[in-house]
Amino acid sequence: MIRGKIIGQVWGARHVPGLDGRKLVLVAAHDAAQAPTGRVVVAIDTLDLRSGDDVTVAFGSGARNVLRPGPDNRDLVCDAAIAALVEGAE
Amino acid sequence: MILGRVVGEVWATRKDARLERSKLLVVRPHGWYEPRWATEHLVAVDDLHAGVGDDVVVCLGQPARWSRGEENMPVDAAIMAVVDRIELDAGAAQASHAAPGIRRRWTPPSRWAR
Repeated sequence: MIRGKIIGQVWGARHVPGLDGRKLVLVAAHDAAQAPTGRVVVAIDTLDLRSGDDVTVAFGSGARNVLRPGPDNRDLVCDAAIAALVEGAE
Repeated sequence: MILGRVVGEVWATRKDARLERSKLLVVRPHGWYEPRWATEHLVAVDDLHAGVGDDVVVCLGQPARWSRGEENMPVDAAIMAVVDRIELDAGAAQASHAAPGIRRRWTPPSRWAR
């Protein structure tokens, strides 16, 4: 997983069936010191978060597990999903 | 997923049977999160009838194979959504270091909220 900050939201009425009812957000990744790394990812947000929130993003099968617990979730179209809202880090 | 803009189309007559219903589009990414993927252009399968100039969300890797829903396709990049609107957080949009790929290459059309 990576950590990042939500910087925006994306809407698209024309989407694949698997995106029905899902919210897409833009996340700018940052490192442990909260410095942005310059990487940006579009992730599915199931937690209904808002811009500025500090989150962790899961990729790959971890992202699919966010949407639907495995193992029978290989048909989900999702390669990045928000796994947690970060409240504090040391 | 990543954001990108459709800049072209690829035609192929001889191709895998599962690709016969789909278009292949050339997408220029606005930003990347995975350096090993980073490239100026990529080819993505499209079932949403996106056109040149459209901004799209592209799904990468294994999950792209299931973009049509029921079929396991021989692809590793698929158009997942055609973008209608993007709202960028005002602070993030101003911080030039927050999203350099998006800042550098992408100016949202005026019809989108800022």
